[in-house]
Amino acid sequence: MVRKELIRRSPLRALEKSLKEPLRKGEIAVVASPKGIGKTGCLVHIATDALLQGKQVIHVSFSTRTDHIISWYEDIFKEVARKLNAAMEVHDEIIRHRVIMSFNQEGVKTQQIIRSLTAMIRDGNFAADQIIVDGYNFYLATTEDLRLIKQFANEVGVMIWFSATVKPENEKIWNRDVPPSLKPFEELIDVIITLGESDGSILVRLVKDRDSYPRKDLSVHLDPKTLMIVEEKK
Amino acid sequence: MMDISKMRNIGISAHIDSGKTTLTERILYYCDKIHMIHEVKGKDGHGATMDYMELERERGITITSASTNVTWKEHTINIIDTPGHVDFTIEVERSLRVLDGAILVLCSVGGVQSQSITVDRQLRRYNVPFVAFINKLDRTGANPYKVKEQIRDKLGHNAVLVQIPIGLEDKFQGLVDLIQMKALYFEGPNGEEVVEREIPAELRAEAEKRREELIDAASLFSDELAEAFLEGAETESQIYAAIRKGVLTRKLIPVFMGSAYKNKGVQPLLDGVIHYLPNPSEVKNTALDLNDGEKEVELKADPKEPLVALAFKLEEGQYGQLTYIRIYQGMLRKGDELYNPRLRRKFKVGRLIRMHAHEMEDITDAVCGDIVALFGIDCASGDTFCSPGINYSMTSMYIPAPVISLAVFPKDKASADQMAKALGRFTKEDPTFRTYVDPESNQTIIQGMGELHLDVYIERMKREYRAEVETGMPQVAYRETITQRADFDYTHKKQTGGAGQFGRVAGYMEPCEEKEYEFVNMIKGGVIPNEFIPSCDKGFQAARMKGTLIGFPVVNIRCVINDGSTHPVDSSDIAFQQAAIGAFRQAYEKAKPVILEPIMKVTVEGPSEFQGNIFGSLNQRRGIIVSSTEDNNFCRIEAEVPLSEMFGYSTVLRSLTQGKAEFSMEFLKYGRVPNTIAEELKKAYQEKRRKEQK
Repeated sequence: MVRKELIRRSPLRALEKSLKEPLRKGEIAVVASPKGIGKTGCLVHIATDALLQGKQVIHVSFSTRTDHIISWYEDIFKEVARKLNAAMEVHDEIIRHRVIMSFNQEGVKTQQIIRSLTAMIRDGNFAADQIIVDGYNFYLATTEDLRLIKQFANEVGVMIWFSATVKPENEKIWNRDVPPSLKPFEELIDVIITLGESDGSILVRLVKDRDSYPRKDLSVHLDPKTLMIVEEKK
Repeated sequence: MMDISKMRNIGISAHIDSGKTTLTERILYYCDKIHMIHEVKGKDGHGATMDYMELERERGITITSASTNVTWKEHTINIIDTPGHVDFTIEVERSLRVLDGAILVLCSVGGVQSQSITVDRQLRRYNVPFVAFINKLDRTGANPYKVKEQIRDKLGHNAVLVQIPIGLEDKFQGLVDLIQMKALYFEGPNGEEVVEREIPAELRAEAEKRREELIDAASLFSDELAEAFLEGAETESQIYAAIRKGVLTRKLIPVFMGSAYKNKGVQPLLDGVIHYLPNPSEVKNTALDLNDGEKEVELKADPKEPLVALAFKLEEGQYGQLTYIRIYQGMLRKGDELYNPRLRRKFKVGRLIRMHAHEMEDITDAVCGDIVALFGIDCASGDTFCSPGINYSMTSMYIPAPVISLAVFPKDKASADQMAKALGRFTKEDPTFRTYVDPESNQTIIQGMGELHLDVYIERMKREYRAEVETGMPQVAYRETITQRADFDYTHKKQTGGAGQFGRVAGYMEPCEEKEYEFVNMIKGGVIPNEFIPSCDKGFQAARMKGTLIGFPVVNIRCVINDGSTHPVDSSDIAFQQAAIGAFRQAYEKAKPVILEPIMKVTVEGPSEFQGNIFGSLNQRRGIIVSSTEDNNFCRIEAEVPLSEMFGYSTVLRSLTQGKAEFSMEFLKYGRVPNTIAEELKKAYQEKRRKEQK
C-alpha cells in the first residue's frame, strides 16, 4: 500500500469526520480518561498519523525515560505500517520529524515548558505542526497556565493534543460530560474526547466540539490490545 | 593454592572527575601495598600509583587500564582500572570482559551524567554485577540521596542505600552502616582506623527508616530474611546473603558513599566488594571450540581442567612486552607450554608475574579466576591461550570499525623510525586503533574512534617515543553503497603479443542489507571453469575497495555471476579478475550508488538556560534532535549528528555555554549523505584525482 492510501484509510479519518471540521493550528484538544485506559497509545497513534502526512511533531512527556516513549512510537508505527511499501524508508524519514521533550513534572512550570518548546522551534529550527502533551497535570494547572499555552499555540501556529488523567472516583459524574478537572479550562479547550471502558471495549466519546456539546459515542473504538484507534466492527 | 571463593576481579567504572583515581589509590593504600598517599595532581610530582603514564598525569585522568593485585581481609582482589572517557570505549569494554564485578563511582554533586550512562550501558552489555559508590561527600552541594534517586530514575536500577552520611560537605564526619546499625568514623592520620560508635541520636530515626527500606528491598531475594524481618529477628548474615543474591542478578544495587580524598568510607566499600560481588566461579564464561565448528563450550572454574586464558592487555615495559591475561579455566605454572590458536603456535611461559601498582612479583603458578601477566610473549590483545590439545577461542570481542582517520607526517628520519615503532605497539594494544600507508599518497594514515582517541596516540608518540609528528586534517571514513540492482556483462580481452588475456563475466549486483559484501556463484554448465570462480570473487573485492564516487569502500553489496565465457588458452586468474573489475565498474553507475557517512549518537548535558544554544549548535551541524530531558535546571539532549560535522564541537560548546555543558558521542550507524553535500564530496574527489594525474 502506498502512503497516501494508508493515510486515507486510517481510522483517524473517521474521528476527524465526527468533528465539525478538522483541528486547525492554534486549537487545543484533550483526550481524558482514568489512568491505564490507553491515552498514551491513542496520542502516539494521532502523532504517527500526522508524521505520515509529513508533519513535524514534538512529543512532550513528564517521565524521565525517553526510551519508553520511543518504543511506543516504534510499536505503533509497526502496527500502522504493516501493509506499507518501503516501510523502513518511511520510518527513517518520519523519525527525523519527531522530537521528544521530557520534563520532570514537579520541578517544571508551564512557562518553562513554553520556553523550552520555543527554544526547540526557534533555535533548533524545528518547524512543529503538532505538539503532543502526554500526562499534563490539569489538577495542578491554573487557567493562566492554559491561557499561556493557548496563546503560544496561536503565535507559533501549532495544534496541541493533551492527555488528561481523571480520577476514577469521579467517573460517574463525568461520564458523558466535561470531566470536572477540565471544567475550569473549558473555554480554552476546543475539543474534548473521553475514553471509557464498557464491556471489555474502550469507547471514544466526543464531549465538546468547539461551541457544541455532542456528548455522543463515536463510531471509533480504542483497540484494547494495541491501544490504537480502530473503526467499529460492523 | 588460592581459594577461588576468596578471589575478586573488579573494575572501577566512572565518569571523569568523579574521583576514581583517588579512590583506587586509597584502596591500594588501605590494602597496605603502598605507604604514602599521593594526590592525583600531587605537588610532590609522584602522582597516584595507578595513574602512571605521564600524559595521564598531566590531564588528571586515567587512560590505560592496568591490573593491580591487592589483599583485603584474606581475599585477593584484582583491580582493573578502567578509563572513563567515551573515546576510549574499547579500553573500557576490554576491561569489562575480564571483570566479574564493578564499582560504579558517582560524584555526589554531579550525580549521574552522560558518561555514567555510557558506562552503565557497558556494564549491562557484559552483564557485570556492580555496587555503587557516591564519592566526594565533602564537596559543596553534596547530596547522596539525590544521586541514589538518579541511579533509580536515570539508570533504571533498583538502588538502595546501605549507608547514610553523618554530616555533609565540610561537616562530613562519617557514615552510618545500616546493616550493623553502627556509626563509622575514620581516624588516624590517613583514616586507616575504622572506629565504631553509637549512631548519633539525631540520625537514629532516619537510620531506622533507611534500614527498613534496605531490608524491604533485600527481602525480595530471600524468604528467610523476609520471615525473620517480620518477627524482628533478622541477622546481619541474612541481610548480606539477600543483598548478594540481588547484586549477582543485577536486580539490586547497594549504594555506598564517602570521600576518598578525605579518607572516609573506603574500607566499608572494600568490605562490600567482598560481601556482594561475585567470585570467579560464580560467573559463567564460554569459549568457542575451533575443532568443533566453533561450538560454544562452557568453561569450568576448575584448576584440574586444561588451561584457557585470555590476553586482554599488552603493555610495553622497560624489559619488554608484558601481556596481561585472565585465566578462565585450569592452572598455569611457570615453564608450561601454551598454544595460541590464532597464530597456531606453541610457546613457553618463561616468567609469570603478579602486578602490584608499580612493582611486579615473580610467581610460580596461578589458578583459574586470577589475573596475571606474562613476559615476552608474541601475541595481540584479544588472543586466547590454551593448553596444547584443546583448540578454544574466547568469543571474539565486539570491535567497532574506526570512523575517523588522520594522516601523520614524521618531521625527520629519527622520528619516522620511532613513529613506526610506536604505531606497531599501539595497534597491538588497541584493536580500534589502526594504521596503514595510503598507496596513492604514500602517507601514513591512522584510524580510530574519535578525535580525542587519535589525539592521545599522537601525544603518546611524542612523549613515550620522542617521535615528532605533524598531522593532516581529520578525515571521515565514508562508505559507498548501491540502491538498486544492475546487470553486467563484461568481456576482458587483451592481445598484445605473447599470451593474450580473455574472460567474460555476466550477472548482476544488488543491495545486500545483512552483509558488507557477498559473492554468489550461479554459474551453470561450467561456462566459467571452477578454478576461475575465486578469481571473479577477488576481482569484485578489489573493485569494491574503491568506489568510483569518492574512492571509499563500497559496502552492503552482493555480486552475483550467472554467465560468462572462457578461452582455452588465454583465460587465466588475472584475466577473470580483470573481467570482474570491469564488470563491477560497468554496473556500478547503473546501480545508483550513494555516499554513506558515520552518524554519531551525541549526548549533551548542561544547564537549561543554554538549551536554545545547544539546540541551535546541533541543528547547524545537520543534527537530528531525538529527545531532550529536563530535570530541575539541568537538561540532557540526545541527537544524531554526522561525524563530519562534529570536529571542534567541544570548543564551540564550551564557548556557547560558558564551559558549563559537556558532551559525549559514540558511533551509531552509517547514514546517507544529503545530495548537496554528496555533490561537494564528489567534486573534491574529482579535483584531487585530477591533481594527482598531473
